[in-house]
Amino acid sequence: MKKTFFSLAILCCVALGAFAQQTEGIVTYEHKYNWIKVNSRLTYLSKEEKDRMQLTWGNEDNGPGTKMKLIFNDKQSIYTYGNEQGQTEDGRYSWRQEEYLVYRNFEKEKIIEHYEMLGKTFLLEDSLMSYNWRIQNQIKDVAGYVCMKAETFDPIKNHKITAWFAQDIPVPAGPERYLGLPGVILELDINDGDVIVSAQKVELKNVDKDLTLPKMKGKKIKNSDYDQLLKKHIADSIKAQRNPYWSIRY
Amino acid sequence: MRKILLLALLWPCLSALYAQTTPSRFQIQGMTTDTVANPLGSATVMLLQRKDSSLVNFSRTNEKGAFSFRNIKKGDYLLKITYVGFIPLEKDIVFGDKELIDLGTLRLKPITKELFEIVIKTARAPMSIKGDTIEYNPASFKVPPGSTVEDLLRKLPGVQIDQNGNIIAQGQQVQKVTVDGKRFFGDDPKMATKNLPAEAINKVQIFNDKTEQSKVTGVDDGKQEKTVNLQLKDSFKKGGFGKVTAGVGLDGNNSANPRGEIKGNYNKFDDKNQFSIIGLTNNTNQTGMSWDDYQDFRGSGSFNQWNDNGDFGFGGGGYYISIGGDDDGGLSIPVGGGLNRGYSNNIAGGINYNRNTKKIKTNASYYYNSNRQVFDALRTRENFLQNGSFQTNEQSNQINFVGNHRLSFRHEQTIDSLNTLIFSNNSRLNAGNTRLSSFTEYLRSNNFKSNESTINNSTLVDKIETANTLLYRHKFKKKGRSFAVSASYNFTNNDGVADQNSLNLFYNATNPDDVIRQLLDLTNNTGSRVNLFKTSLLFVEPFAKRFFSETFVNLSHRSDFVDRNVFDLAKENGQRMPVDSLSSYYKNNYNYARLGTSIRYSYKGLNFSGGLAVQTFQIDGKFGLGQEPNTFIDVKRNYTTFIPNASFSYDLKNNRYFWSGYNVNVNQPNTRDLQPIIDNSNPLIIRQGNPDLLPSLSHNINLGYNMFNPASFTSFNVNLYYSYNVNQIIYNQQIDPATLITVTKPVNISGGQNLGSYIGFGFPLKKTKATINFNASPGISKNLTPINGVMNETNTNSLRFGVRLDLTPSDVFTFYPNANWSIGNTKYSINTTQNQQIVTQTYGGTMNIRLPKDFYINSNFNYQIYTNDRFGFNQQVPVLNSSIYKVLGKSKKAEIRLSLYDAFNRNLGVNQFANQNYVSQERIQTLARYYMLSFTYNMRGMNTNIKRRGWY
Repeated sequence: MKKTFFSLAILCCVALGAFAQQTEGIVTYEHKYNWIKVNSRLTYLSKEEKDRMQLTWGNEDNGPGTKMKLIFNDKQSIYTYGNEQGQTEDGRYSWRQEEYLVYRNFEKEKIIEHYEMLGKTFLLEDSLMSYNWRIQNQIKDVAGYVCMKAETFDPIKNHKITAWFAQDIPVPAGPERYLGLPGVILELDINDGDVIVSAQKVELKNVDKDLTLPKMKGKKIKNSDYDQLLKKHIADSIKAQRNPYWSIRY
Repeated sequence: MRKILLLALLWPCLSALYAQTTPSRFQIQGMTTDTVANPLGSATVMLLQRKDSSLVNFSRTNEKGAFSFRNIKKGDYLLKITYVGFIPLEKDIVFGDKELIDLGTLRLKPITKELFEIVIKTARAPMSIKGDTIEYNPASFKVPPGSTVEDLLRKLPGVQIDQNGNIIAQGQQVQKVTVDGKRFFGDDPKMATKNLPAEAINKVQIFNDKTEQSKVTGVDDGKQEKTVNLQLKDSFKKGGFGKVTAGVGLDGNNSANPRGEIKGNYNKFDDKNQFSIIGLTNNTNQTGMSWDDYQDFRGSGSFNQWNDNGDFGFGGGGYYISIGGDDDGGLSIPVGGGLNRGYSNNIAGGINYNRNTKKIKTNASYYYNSNRQVFDALRTRENFLQNGSFQTNEQSNQINFVGNHRLSFRHEQTIDSLNTLIFSNNSRLNAGNTRLSSFTEYLRSNNFKSNESTINNSTLVDKIETANTLLYRHKFKKKGRSFAVSASYNFTNNDGVADQNSLNLFYNATNPDDVIRQLLDLTNNTGSRVNLFKTSLLFVEPFAKRFFSETFVNLSHRSDFVDRNVFDLAKENGQRMPVDSLSSYYKNNYNYARLGTSIRYSYKGLNFSGGLAVQTFQIDGKFGLGQEPNTFIDVKRNYTTFIPNASFSYDLKNNRYFWSGYNVNVNQPNTRDLQPIIDNSNPLIIRQGNPDLLPSLSHNINLGYNMFNPASFTSFNVNLYYSYNVNQIIYNQQIDPATLITVTKPVNISGGQNLGSYIGFGFPLKKTKATINFNASPGISKNLTPINGVMNETNTNSLRFGVRLDLTPSDVFTFYPNANWSIGNTKYSINTTQNQQIVTQTYGGTMNIRLPKDFYINSNFNYQIYTNDRFGFNQQVPVLNSSIYKVLGKSKKAEIRLSLYDAFNRNLGVNQFANQNYVSQERIQTLARYYMLSFTYNMRGMNTNIKRRGWY
């Protein structure tokens, strides 16, 4: 049912001709992963081990995060890496970036996701999911846009999700797997700062050319398989006292 | 979806049918305007569940400010309208019996422009609006350190402080200041604002609260008080913790000395400063800190010296680990203490301070440690000649004491985003003494005693060492172009006195006077100084796409000065007389220069680099016996060589990595080997120097692959490495078959090789319950040693194989058994009858049991069997340690533990070794059975996990 409301809402947005120029563009994000905070959530570590990690490494500069980009219009969006490879700040050393692409089609209510996790490459195709967003009373500025706060919860990864969405860009797109707010999500905070995906730049322009999907190969799964895989992996790893997070997208 | 659309189309008909009853679907509509009735177009209108603000539906107002939601089921909703620059408006939806709910005109109030601009746009701070509460985040409003909350409030938009310290917020005087929602010391709101430091505050909230009276009476008098609530920062970033352990026990070997240990550390830290102290003392062979203790002690300074290697080379200098070390430890703090041979008494303590800000990172520490070690050893060694062999049996007692004071200081300054400066100093002052008494017999193959040697030596050493490095890194505006320069000065001063006393008997001497041939009683005063200056440059330039060139220069100058004076106890008047033949004096200058360049390619995880360097050593030395300058011998050598280098790594899909590399190591001969003099201070092993030595060179190749499947927990890795030696420095042995006196002289020999490997494979037998790991390291090596003019080729092939099982069936029981076998076959070309096999087997296991009422049992068993069949050597060392402990208190901060170490009283230090032209076995008396009762208090709580930790 929610989906229905959702599509109705989109139709409303689309209907507003006044916003046509505001409904497509590219958002460039910086994705920052705070491994100390993430590892501090490992239930099997003692307080002593967590403090030791924080004291030893907490003052290290983790460098700039990974550049990500969201290409969107009112019908569809692609979220993937902003650069073709990972590299050190000076570029002297590079690494392969794991496959990661999230495609949303709001019109056809379809999603395609392509990523490596758990030592395999997957291709997820399913219908659009919805999140139970709770709208909060805070506003702040992200990349020049006044954003409103919304929260939801990911029961699979057990994450508290905070999104800041820009009402001025009335498209329900967002970074990572998140979507469905009355404006583009310009900042995403997973679990109180474990991961922060924050918009650095918003360019509103025609993106018809950029919205083409590359060829993708992988083991075909559905949303329910994804949930199942992650649930099992996290439970198994915690039980075996291994860090489950480095082999999945947090 | 289609069905629903259909439903929507049919809606008017359906609703007509049910017109008489309460409709089940509603339409909500309204108009938005600002306070002066201008319509607000494109405002966001959201329909939320009232209980948790869940978003049910959303829409936008049209240019006339109108909005509507159709098809809404009855529920408990809140309508929220937001528009940038306006205070969000919330409105309850009341469902009546009409299908259409018209909310009429809704007016949005603008946020004060000043507030909006400052908070949102300038400070880029989140601002919260809850009804009439406006919340600020003080971090966005910079106040100097040491400011009070009052200073902070003064900075907030919409807040003023009058001369008397009264707070006026949004035009009204603040009646109440609360801290974390609680009243702060009485009624005066100024108490909190004047006394609390601004740094302690996380959030400032300003709102209207009911009066105290209405709160008490429960009758709302309608009056409201302006209230400021200060939310304190959570204590995560600030704290202190520590732990202390004390134990006392009985030695199970009727020793008069009780066993005991005390260990403690304390840390205090906030987000910028870390301060810690540590201390330990014991006579249970714990020679120093564990790695965990080290990390607790050094905090953010634990590993940052990784980046301080100023000796740039291939790969840009790379990362280079210089911590840890042997007992002597060098300049860095010794870590990983645990001596499984001999007996030792240990004392250590230190103090550390770190400061970390955005611009600077400073670490300073002082650490003292002392170890007194006692070794009672039995050593057997068989030396092979072309025909036959001889055996030496040695019985020795050695007592070593060393005390070290270590100072370390490191400062890293980030000047700006392009420039960094690092200075580091590591210094050590140490004093030590050793006493060695030994008795050695030389036996021929028919067990005929040939020689006998009794030695009593003692030494006293004082040493000062310091190493200083200044490192500057500069990044250019052009991405990838960078420059680094380093300069170092190292200094070592060593003063030692050694008393050597030995009696050597030669039983097969033909002349009876020669039987007691050498009675030595020498005193040896040695002073030495080493000065080392180094400088290095590195320049990195990107070219083409994905390519870099890296060019480096290393220059160093080292000067050594040694003055060694040997005195003999004169036979006549008891005065010590100088012995010129043993005294030595030298002054050496070493110059070293290297220039190299490499090309690096890097793209998507494929990294390759290849390069070439040319390096030159220059030795300019003066050697002499005694102090007579005219007896000095000049040694001048120049040696230039080219060094290639290549490395390759590839990051493959799905957690697989492949890497490979080739490098050449060049080592210059040490001074002792170059001295053209004869050292006969041990009359049975006479050392001769060789001024013609060339630097040794080794070619190394390595290859590796690893993979890990995080879903199945399966891992596999392979490593291969090969090295080939050119001009390896090897001690040529000339053994007199009659006297068994060995004369050694270092020579350059090419052709020694070593091929090694490691293969590891692990997978779960039952996920999370049982995991099995296999590892194997086969290897072969060839060593060349000239013995009595014949080249002996020692070929060794070795295989180490191990299997480990991790059994973690439940949270109350874990068991980790393991077995390892190590087999070494050694073949000697000059004497094939001496070929032999050395086998070491290890079987062990660790078991943990969690009992009710916070009782735990931990047992650890290790059984080692050393065999060499040719020698009939078979030594078995079973060691069982067991302890039972109880964790005390609700917060599990204390523990009381009863331990039994080495239950069978069989602990022994054993070593067996075969190489070149000898095979040896060693047995050292070692701390065996003892009992201990210990108590631990840990402010952070005891770790009660009984599973072995993997990585995290």
